[in-house]
Amino acid sequence: MQCSVAACVGTDLEVPTSAYVHLPFCKRKCFYCDFPVVATGSQLHSAPVQDALQAYVALLCREIAATQPVGGAPLRTVFFGGGTPSLIPPPQLARVLDALAARFGIAAGAEVSMEADPGTFDALRLREYMALGVNRFSIGVQAFQQELLEVCGRSHSLADVHAALTAVRDAAPAAWSLDLMAGLPGLGAAAWEASLVQALAAKPDHISVYDLQVEEGTPFARWYQPGAAPLPGEGAAADQLRAASAVLRAAGYEHYELSSYALPGKRCQHNQVYWAASQPYHAFGLGAASLLGARRFARPRAMRAYRAWVEAFVAAGSGVPGGDQPPDSAHEQLLDYVMLRLRLSDGLDLAHMAARFGAAPAAAAAAALAPHVVTGLAEVAAGRSALWGFRGRR
Amino acid sequence: MVPRLFRLCAHLRHTLNVWERKQGLWQPGRALSSAAPAPAGKEANLGFVDGGFRVTDFPQDKVRNFSIIAHVDHGKSTLADRLLELTGAIRKGGQAQYLDKLQVERERGITVKAQTASLVYRHRGEDYLLNLIDTPGHVDFSYEVSRSLAACQGALLLVDAAQGVQAQTVANFFLAFDQDLAIVPVLNKVDLPSAEPDKVAEQMQQVFDIPEENCLRTSAKSGLGLEDVLPAVIKRVPPPRGDPEGDPRLLLFDAYHDAFRGVVCLVEVVDGSIRTGDRVTAASSGDTYDVSEVGVLVPEARSTGQLCTGQVGYVITGIKNTRAARVGDTWHLYKRPVERLPGFKPSKSMVFAGIYPTGGGEFDALAAAMDRLCLTDASIGVKRENSDALGAGFRCGFLGLLHMEVFLQRLEQEHGASVITTAPTVPYALDLYGGERMEIQNPSQFPLGVKVLGVWEPTVAATITLPSEYLGALMQLCQDRRGELTEHTHLGPGRLLLRRGPYVWYALPLAELGGDFYDELKSLSSGYASFDYAEGPTRRASLVRLDLMLNGLPVDALARVVHRDKAQQVGRAMCAAMRDKLGRQMFEVAIQATASGKVVARETLKAFRKNVTAKCYGGDVSRKRKLLERQKEGKKRMRRVGSVDVPQEVFHALMRV
Repeated sequence: MQCSVAACVGTDLEVPTSAYVHLPFCKRKCFYCDFPVVATGSQLHSAPVQDALQAYVALLCREIAATQPVGGAPLRTVFFGGGTPSLIPPPQLARVLDALAARFGIAAGAEVSMEADPGTFDALRLREYMALGVNRFSIGVQAFQQELLEVCGRSHSLADVHAALTAVRDAAPAAWSLDLMAGLPGLGAAAWEASLVQALAAKPDHISVYDLQVEEGTPFARWYQPGAAPLPGEGAAADQLRAASAVLRAAGYEHYELSSYALPGKRCQHNQVYWAASQPYHAFGLGAASLLGARRFARPRAMRAYRAWVEAFVAAGSGVPGGDQPPDSAHEQLLDYVMLRLRLSDGLDLAHMAARFGAAPAAAAAAALAPHVVTGLAEVAAGRSALWGFRGRR
Repeated sequence: MVPRLFRLCAHLRHTLNVWERKQGLWQPGRALSSAAPAPAGKEANLGFVDGGFRVTDFPQDKVRNFSIIAHVDHGKSTLADRLLELTGAIRKGGQAQYLDKLQVERERGITVKAQTASLVYRHRGEDYLLNLIDTPGHVDFSYEVSRSLAACQGALLLVDAAQGVQAQTVANFFLAFDQDLAIVPVLNKVDLPSAEPDKVAEQMQQVFDIPEENCLRTSAKSGLGLEDVLPAVIKRVPPPRGDPEGDPRLLLFDAYHDAFRGVVCLVEVVDGSIRTGDRVTAASSGDTYDVSEVGVLVPEARSTGQLCTGQVGYVITGIKNTRAARVGDTWHLYKRPVERLPGFKPSKSMVFAGIYPTGGGEFDALAAAMDRLCLTDASIGVKRENSDALGAGFRCGFLGLLHMEVFLQRLEQEHGASVITTAPTVPYALDLYGGERMEIQNPSQFPLGVKVLGVWEPTVAATITLPSEYLGALMQLCQDRRGELTEHTHLGPGRLLLRRGPYVWYALPLAELGGDFYDELKSLSSGYASFDYAEGPTRRASLVRLDLMLNGLPVDALARVVHRDKAQQVGRAMCAAMRDKLGRQMFEVAIQATASGKVVARETLKAFRKNVTAKCYGGDVSRKRKLLERQKEGKKRMRRVGSVDVPQEVFHALMRV
């Protein structure tokens, strides 16, 4: 996503070349999860579940087919998120990829990512996905402690984790990422350090470290109070994130976004589109959020409502999801831009911001950040300003 | 028609019986001789307007001026509504609590501004003009109550038949008793399952020496017994005693501002009469006005061209600001001076607070709202004031704390203003080195680094009545509030009070009446305590200035004056409240309280550790944005002290510490 400044300026010039596809099926819903998820239970291979899965894929394909391509550029990144996308049988994934290719085209060398959870795949399965064009996997390990996996309500065991890591190394995709969660109930500093070491030992190209968020409506929200035992205190949770940054950077990973680390050249292209906040992107599926025509639009999170929405969308034939809603205001776009860019180590490019939004907002941002440069939370480099909260300076 | 006639006959018989028992009281001949046939062609109780009445139809002996006094929630406003309906002044089932015009009154169930309604009621074939003068219901407004009562000759003492005599019943009874008003006791809500009218009647006998059989029994809600109320008013309340031939003398007992007509003055014509076109002089100021309109409130204003002796109505002159219409004042005709009526005293601000707009740019809107509201409430003192933390605002003086609260609520509800207020303070006098004396109305005026030889604070002479078993708890409370017992007495046999409860007199610092004093008093006495106060002398006290500092910078709007012994306790409470409410910043914040410059309490607020660590992918952006928008909304309402953002809730919260 290292586009030149000129190419990024002005929404009109921008063309969506990224697509997010939501595959909501999971064996069970984790206790902290508030994503739109359809739990299949142990009956994954039963006819009703497989029928539901196929019906969902059919619905997805209808949505894709009804969505207007803008500008005619092929997709450069595709991301299958969930849910547990690795539950989807490869032939079904093929249908979705075919639909995307038919509607938008998929560029040669495009990054096609897929989330995969331990316990749902082996090397063969990954190779099947790779044969369809998937070239990057994001493995939802989350923890290297059996008790923590259980506390979280994950459907996999520690043995599954090790099997999964072996499988992904065997399959040898072009790139893969390992997800870890900090701030889990009962997670102490020592266990966290051990997790980081084990993560590094698996030699992923990319590591995501998520700080647990206790989201409303989840079992965790009923059981736990953020910052109170058994959750680590706020200071301890912050220390875990700081430790992750120190350990992973020492191992050669760039801390390029608040929760993302990558070996050089292995940043997630797709996610960078979100954080740059200057390019539109498609999204398909239950609860998925697209940014098209300066509109952030989230599809319904309930299956029945989503189905009704697809029907109406197809019937209306407008081709732009959320097109009946007013575009985000310049103010909202500006807020997204600052909020998201400050998550990146590349930071907020004040010149780019001025070109895009005008000199006044850029000057205001510079003035607002100035006090934090003094305290070391932000730094200015050649006109850029970035938040450096994780560099362990404090 | 037959059943109605029959009922009327029965009614007459009943009232005659009562009358025969009571006729020794006053002017019996006049009332008895009025059993003349009804005015031809007029149906009874159509109301003043529909009945086609003129004020000259009502000579003095056909006028009664009365009010309803009651403990809060004993049904005063509902009874007033029913009386208005009964006399055709308003339609049945109209807006409830008609006389409580202000939203704040309906919400709080207290009457803030006195209201008046003139009712026409036919009794034994004669039409009477009954002026119902509603009274405010709180000790802060006792001056309004007493001046409203000054225009009356009688009062309905309304008591809830389930709750019995309550503190305010007692306080109001004595207010009326002291003004020699005829009391008509009414037991209300007798249809409640829990009602014990016999017991309450007995209580009335014990407490107020009112014969049990004198108590009317009603249910204002269902209408039960209401037909007895107005006849009792007519029979037991004497007509106004003024001299119809004398020089006109008017009692100004209330004034309000009307957007279209300017200041509307409510008056009782004590002697003589007043007509449109008269020139009147206010005795207190000597200012002279031309009367442009005279009329009655029935209950809407109805121009009548004149008001006769004893009548109550409104007068409109060229007065633009209610401050010129001094309540309690005596008015007379230009160059025809008369003896002044007792009761006039200028209102004096006893509680001060800073009022600031919540948003920095909203000062002009607040100023406009304050202007409009102050037009209707002449008892508020207003001055411009500037605070480092809160910017431009006002320092306002109020009669008391409830008065302040009501003012603030009206400011927000009726004028849409959103404000931050500072903790209320009383005026202090400081003796400085060199014999200089300074008066401060704002704690931040309290000089630091200057030798203060003495601080004088206002006190109140508080009268508290309560059953004797609560006396110990009361003394503890008053001692905690730096009160000094001045006298206490058990009541003599003439004035039996609530289970022979004592009167207690305390000298209390006015400043200590703030916070939860009323609540404490009520709860320690199971609601029986009644409390009233009058202004007392100033008293020397060991008082210091308490400041709250954020990272070493004082927040001027949070300064207060406290007793030296309480400085640490209050300082700690303020620091703790500040720590809880401030919200963390990007850096550590030291919160300190200093008394006369010396640190007495400290809290530390840790910096944010990880407020941006949540992951953020495509679908999370909108959620994150909403969160930020919400935070920004909050920021708008924040004030900056040095580098610290202070949410305005802090100012609200610390006001209560």
